[in-house]
Amino acid sequence: MRWLGLILISLALAATVHAAQVQARLIRATQDEKLADARLKTLHAQLEKKFGYPYYEQMGEKQEALKADTTNRLDLGEGFVVFVTPKSVTKKVHELEVEWTSGKASLVKSTVKISEGGYLFIKGPGVANDWIVLALTVHE
Amino acid sequence: MKAHNSDWISALVDGELTGLRRWLVQRHLRRCTLCAAEYRHMHHVREMLAANPPATPMSDSADFFWSKVKREIQAREGQTADVPMSELSLSDWLGQHRFALASAVTTLVAIVGLVFALRIPRNASSPVVIIQPPVATVEHASTLIPNTVATTIATKDAEPAVIWVSGLPWTTDMTEMKTQYAQMDS
Repeated sequence: MRWLGLILISLALAATVHAAQVQARLIRATQDEKLADARLKTLHAQLEKKFGYPYYEQMGEKQEALKADTTNRLDLGEGFVVFVTPKSVTKKVHELEVEWTSGKASLVKSTVKISEGGYLFIKGPGVANDWIVLALTVHE
Repeated sequence: MKAHNSDWISALVDGELTGLRRWLVQRHLRRCTLCAAEYRHMHHVREMLAANPPATPMSDSADFFWSKVKREIQAREGQTADVPMSELSLSDWLGQHRFALASAVTTLVAIVGLVFALRIPRNASSPVVIIQPPVATVEHASTLIPNTVATTIATKDAEPAVIWVSGLPWTTDMTEMKTQYAQMDS
């Protein structure tokens, strides 16, 4: 009976801990080599292909568990905040409502579908010679 | 001693006579052929009986058996003997360790269940897992900031989806950007 109890508790915990995570990164695309960020090593090739800049700096990062019909607020710093609301999940593809804000301004509102490991890039405002970019992904 | 007497002859054969009586009987045997023949016959029978003692029937009682075993053990006390050791077969081993085996199987089932519970999404409608490349698609994109446009850039499968927001105010540094966007109300 003790064994059975432990097994049931383990299975119950396993069912509750399973939740998809949404991750947002605030990125500065730049010509300045000194700002090159090793944390973006895996994304560098895709960022360079889409935006053309040779170097990328990660300015902020947040990750939270997605809960159905609950809006996640991801504060990335520098006044940038991303609101993510999951709408549905079909065959591991998450339909999300995404709003990227800076201060009081809503830079963009979007509905996207992202599978595990898929990425959404949003090109935002320019600062000096650089661009501010948002990278959003979902992990299981 | 002149008369034939079988009892005396038997007593002589049995060694029961001594002294004068023994001498008299022996002298009679030397002179009487009949008694001498009887003496030889009795002596022959006695030798045969001595050579072939009657077999004693064994008792089949438990007391007799265990007393015999006890005597045998006492007789062999101090002797050493090699006792062959029996070897366990796989089925014997499984029979002896059935509780440990059941526990191991239960643990294995629990671990497998745990792994599946962690891997299979709760909302999955089909148990068949199809490995697909990571995909992101934009269904809709818009911006409320005046003179600004949010455009979805077409991308190939397995590439990141891109939304390009054009027309946003340009600033010289991050401080100015924060100030400007903090005052902006979309």
